[in-house]
Amino acid sequence: MAVDRRAEEQQLTALMIAYQKGDMDAFTGLYEALKRPLIRYLWTFVRNQTMAEDLLQETFLQLHRARQTYPPPRPVRPWIYAITRHVALMHLRSMRRRKEVLPDEDLPEVPVPPEMDQLADRATVQRLLGTLPRTAQEVLILHHLLGMSFEEVGAIIGIAPGTAKVRAHRALKKIREQMIEEDA
Amino acid sequence: MSLDSIPSDLREAIEGDLDPVRPLHPAWVRTMLAVAILVVVLAFVLAKASLRPDMDQLPIWLSWGCSILQLALGVLLIGLALREAVPGEGIPGGAVRIAAITALAVQILVGIATSIYSPAITMPGSGIAPGIGCLKHETAMALPTFVVTLWLVFRALPLRAPTAGLLGGAGATVASDAVIHLLCPMSNLTHVFVWHTGALILFMALGWFAGTIWERLRWRQTS
Repeated sequence: MAVDRRAEEQQLTALMIAYQKGDMDAFTGLYEALKRPLIRYLWTFVRNQTMAEDLLQETFLQLHRARQTYPPPRPVRPWIYAITRHVALMHLRSMRRRKEVLPDEDLPEVPVPPEMDQLADRATVQRLLGTLPRTAQEVLILHHLLGMSFEEVGAIIGIAPGTAKVRAHRALKKIREQMIEEDA
Repeated sequence: MSLDSIPSDLREAIEGDLDPVRPLHPAWVRTMLAVAILVVVLAFVLAKASLRPDMDQLPIWLSWGCSILQLALGVLLIGLALREAVPGEGIPGGAVRIAAITALAVQILVGIATSIYSPAITMPGSGIAPGIGCLKHETAMALPTFVVTLWLVFRALPLRAPTAGLLGGAGATVASDAVIHLLCPMSNLTHVFVWHTGALILFMALGWFAGTIWERLRWRQTS
């Protein structure tokens, strides 16, 4: 698992460097590799699949405008997810200003990692994830679903790694408590 | 929208502007650029101006020692601002608060310690004229580093631009105050707090404001 993660990160770094040099195929590779996890992450902000897909496009446009700000050979994912998060937050701010409300939808289908899969069936875990506050959900998704370290999660959100760890722990605890309540 | 391929309008936008770009230098390299400007300005001022008349009364740790400490703190704050300007390298909110409070606390404590060791140095009059003089000097010394730091910050992509601006303003002013501390002959606390701490707060606020404006302009096209 760790080896795969490192290989994946190396591949993303290579694609990003090629993209900075003007390689369209590298951009396509980045898009293919990241579109689904980014949609999943964007969903935690807007909770609407269509809007998440629209924001994915906006995210890639912003990534393109800011592509020179990626400092190789640093990990690519914290850089990309931090921009993605900002695009989503700016969109939410704009929606609040316009007093728009989107209908909540179910969480899009994503692979659930073993430690969360053990808690209950996939549908239950996905449903309970959707009930968590955004800040808790965000940390869980970045760490448990997307496999990022707490250092990376902290750098993306702008919090200390220890705070990210505490948030993830509390979120998991809350899911467990909700499951016990439901069982009872 | 299908996720299977890149949407055509996104593809067109990317293909239409796919010139190679030079990646940003690491934060420490960009910090060195701001520090180079800082060193030139401070060295020029030190060479031209005379040191405060009570230098002999101040212990070395309080005169040159505190200056070096403030200079190091200023460089650190500039480095933090430039790091904050790179997505995915954001500084935890708590660390930002600690950095801002430390900048203020060090300046205030150095002022208090100086007034204890050399309490007699005051200027005649109400203190407004020398105060404005100090503010002008502090501004003239901090401004070049402040401008270069903000330019470097905004060339990157600060996702919390006001925070990055505040850190840049604090860094430039704390570093300049390291030299002002060796030059300003007034050690009464009212003067230090109003004009020197005031200058620090002013530049922090200016950095915050510049960041807010930049953020609005940069992200106004986002839906």
